[in-house]
Amino acid sequence: MYMITFSGLTKTFKSTAAVNDFTLEIKDGEIMGLLGPNGAGKTTLILTMATVYQPTRGSVIVDGYDVTTRPTEIRSLIGIAFQDPRFDRLLSVLDVLEWHAKITGVPSGERVQRLESVMRRLGLWEVRRQRTWSLSGGMKKKVEDAKIFIQCPRIAVFDEPTAFLDVPSRLLVWDMIKELQEEGRTVILATNMMDEAERLSERVAIMNLGGLVALGSPSDLKQKVKGSEVLEIKPTDPGHVDLERLKRIHGVSKGVISNDILKLFLSRGRERIPRVIDELRQQGVEIESLFLKEATLEDVFLKYTGSNLS
Amino acid sequence: MTRGFYELILREIRVLVKAPWVVCSRGLFFLIQIFVFAVLMDRVVDAPNFDFFAYYSIGTILVTISSIAFLIGHDVYEEAETGLLDYLLTLPFSRRVYILGRCVGGAFRSMIYVTPMFGLVAVIRGFTGAVELLGALALLFVLAFGITGLSITVAVTIRNQNRFDITLALLELFMIRFSTALYPPVFMPSAVATVSVFSPVTLTSDAVRAVLQGGEASFLGVGGLIAFVIVFFAASTAFYFKRIEGGYFH
Repeated sequence: MYMITFSGLTKTFKSTAAVNDFTLEIKDGEIMGLLGPNGAGKTTLILTMATVYQPTRGSVIVDGYDVTTRPTEIRSLIGIAFQDPRFDRLLSVLDVLEWHAKITGVPSGERVQRLESVMRRLGLWEVRRQRTWSLSGGMKKKVEDAKIFIQCPRIAVFDEPTAFLDVPSRLLVWDMIKELQEEGRTVILATNMMDEAERLSERVAIMNLGGLVALGSPSDLKQKVKGSEVLEIKPTDPGHVDLERLKRIHGVSKGVISNDILKLFLSRGRERIPRVIDELRQQGVEIESLFLKEATLEDVFLKYTGSNLS
Repeated sequence: MTRGFYELILREIRVLVKAPWVVCSRGLFFLIQIFVFAVLMDRVVDAPNFDFFAYYSIGTILVTISSIAFLIGHDVYEEAETGLLDYLLTLPFSRRVYILGRCVGGAFRSMIYVTPMFGLVAVIRGFTGAVELLGALALLFVLAFGITGLSITVAVTIRNQNRFDITLALLELFMIRFSTALYPPVFMPSAVATVSVFSPVTLTSDAVRAVLQGGEASFLGVGGLIAFVIVFFAASTAFYFKRIEGGYFH
């Protein structure tokens, strides 16, 4: 059973397609990681699903409701923790969370208990009377996340949920997101942090230029990097590297230079290293360092988008 | 529908209560207008059978409620700029409930501002009839509702912050200064008097004075006020939807 279905979704603003022919099905109760660089279309995708925008073409069906014909029903299913905290600066932490709980229909009998429990877990209880404008970036982020933990919506969307958080807080938020899923909620996790996506997501969708470029579990995606190995080389002069000649070496499937580091995606890397070194020497390129490792999600991202997330 | 509508109104009021310095400064401004400016002007204006203080005291309420109702446009503009609007639009109520909630909330907020001032003027002027007082408050509410709609319309149709600020300030200036709120038409230059007939502040000002003095508000005046409300509520709704769907806010 799919909770959310994007079918050929396109959203254009004037002549720019922020989301382009995007198709994806998200299962009920799964955590779907959404990875993409800035401008990939993640936010537009989320806001279209949340009925803020109308699709230009294609459709989005949420729990059987079409975003264009039944938006109000969809809004009652969704809760979004935005990347940048969104609340009235003049109000206190308690005001913000209490209002969110009321307007999203948290039953009055449970409201007080849920508010206190989530605020205490996230360390917001002591500052609950403080106005939100006076909070640090991390505390504001916690307030934004807390809205969704209190609401417990059928579909919880987190956009960079642990940005600005310290390590203990990050681990706590990850636990709380996992708990949401264990309670049967569907979670969409838009993130730039590979470890977050890898740790929490059952499947990851990689977006680039408004489209879906790869989809699968983190381990499946890593397997898709041919041979699952990456040879990272720091050349003295990256500008002189001829990638085309390197790619002709048997077993090398792709080569990318990113942040002055040459990355070769290859199989049986240990056997290929001497040939790669010879080739670089022939090109007149000296090697400062060389490192062979198993492919990570970051490498998967690099392979499909040609750029680093950071 | 009911919960969303009710909570949107409460939100407007809560934001107001959390900014007491704004309420206090407006209240102080009102007191100075009444007890300093109006008293001084009353001595300056020498017209037979005309009590300027009495006229001005009611007019100041009209001016204050209009200014407060215009403020919501700034809120809406800022919400769009900061992204708070995206959050509000994901909440579980329809767009129509959202706009209606903002307009009614904005009108209630304006009423909370002016009701104490209105009470003070009622005491000073000796207005005691409950029906008349309620009738006047209802007219003020309708004006505030209409101006809120107008203000939201301007906020969602003008993209540039400076142009938006200037347009809203000019609209406020024309609607209030080219009206009968602070001075009767006989004292106005003829061009201003002609234009003032069309100002919703004039329509409300004349109707409120008529009601408080035990008379009847003109049917045409109240009809014009209601038409103003309907036009700008519809315009704010239409432009709001159009801008959001077109992605103007991003």
